[in-house]
Amino acid sequence: MHKSSYEPHAYNRWLMSGKDFFVQRYEELGWNYCGCKPIQAIRINVANARKAEVVKRLEAKGIRLRRIPFLENGYWVSETKFSVGATPEYLLGLYSIQEAAAQIPVSLFTELKHRTVLDACAAPGGKTVQLADLMQNTGMIVALDVEKRRITALANQLERCHAKNAIVYRMDVRQISKLNMRFDRLLLDAPCSGNFAADANWFRRRTIDDVRRNAELQRELLAEATEVLTDDGELVYSTCSLEPEENELNVDWAIRTLGLRTEQIECYGEKASTDIFGGRLDSSLENCRRIWPRETQGFFVCKFRKRVS
Amino acid sequence: MEQISDFARQFNVSIGIDESLVVEKQARYFLLNARLKGLASSDFFYAGTYLGKFKNRVFFPSFALLNMIAERKEANRMIINEKAEWLFICGRDLFKQGIVSMVDPKSKGTYTLILNKQGECLGFGKIMANSAQTKDEHAVIVKNVLDVGDFLRRER
Repeated sequence: MHKSSYEPHAYNRWLMSGKDFFVQRYEELGWNYCGCKPIQAIRINVANARKAEVVKRLEAKGIRLRRIPFLENGYWVSETKFSVGATPEYLLGLYSIQEAAAQIPVSLFTELKHRTVLDACAAPGGKTVQLADLMQNTGMIVALDVEKRRITALANQLERCHAKNAIVYRMDVRQISKLNMRFDRLLLDAPCSGNFAADANWFRRRTIDDVRRNAELQRELLAEATEVLTDDGELVYSTCSLEPEENELNVDWAIRTLGLRTEQIECYGEKASTDIFGGRLDSSLENCRRIWPRETQGFFVCKFRKRVS
Repeated sequence: MEQISDFARQFNVSIGIDESLVVEKQARYFLLNARLKGLASSDFFYAGTYLGKFKNRVFFPSFALLNMIAERKEANRMIINEKAEWLFICGRDLFKQGIVSMVDPKSKGTYTLILNKQGECLGFGKIMANSAQTKDEHAVIVKNVLDVGDFLRRER
């Protein structure tokens, strides 16, 4: 029998925060905490330039790159004397600065060309540009976000990288029905609690209440997103949180509640657990990937397909 | 739309843009594809290819529009060396010593595109002096009007 949600009664509410609390949880999930720092990564925009050409140009400037083995167009920046965000090649849109694990979700979609795609929480736009790049500017991307400052950054990214097939709305995905559209591919890179590898103050700032609040919001977003997904359409759900409430438990809930099924994916990371703090989850959770911080930040990714009604 | 064509003419070219696919949104102009056009009546923030904006009756082109102009071989252009490229994207003017080649010497006050050695458009500027007639290698030949470093500056 599946457990619907995890309530760690053993902990007092006031104790449910801080580094020790979260590190103990990670250990219970089978991972030993290490204070790792992700390596800076870039992604070459292949619609704008040939990979070999960009690598050659950057190396001539003294930027040493290392191919990321699990990504098609990603490179780690091994050495640089200056910001890789200030080169002519960056400003001309030949590459984007995008953390390695964050490059995974978009790479999981199949047959993106000519599709109608929703990027539900798009700002600051790294993944939107990646979508446009893989779609070779065919089809259409509807990109949503709620904050003016963040969608301005998104628009700047699209302009810099010569994306031509995107339309950006300042809109919460929970209002998407206003557009009266259906989508073949849907990226829900959900707002989340983040992780310590990407935020030095994470342990001081986060409590289990934040995690639960975010998990609740993510379920609302998942439900709304599923409504506008075409039958047999693909939905990639991702977070940069390490907390099971925002990942495995939400996926388990979506399988049982929303008529979604997980798809097998081949990507970096370990199989998500079907046993979270003693609660058994749907066995297809194994199709999802949990990425513990090491050379990348922490990440979780799941590919759903909507069952044909 | 006419102002966009006028702007292109300052580089000695005319560009053909399908007016039916251009949408104005708060004095900002976007070129859409047919699929996006169907949605454009909704309240979007950004769409398709951004062409530029009007502010205080002055037209500020986008880099996409400059690239469209640069596609025309006859457009005013200067090719610059790598050192000048770094300086130009930092907002600096162009000295004679940084210029590798140009379509032909232009008269003072006209606009010219600035391209790097790979032929990529870095922005544009206004010609301040005739390069061929200027002996001083440190003389400013082009005043920087817009460069791609703007992507960094605009988010500060």
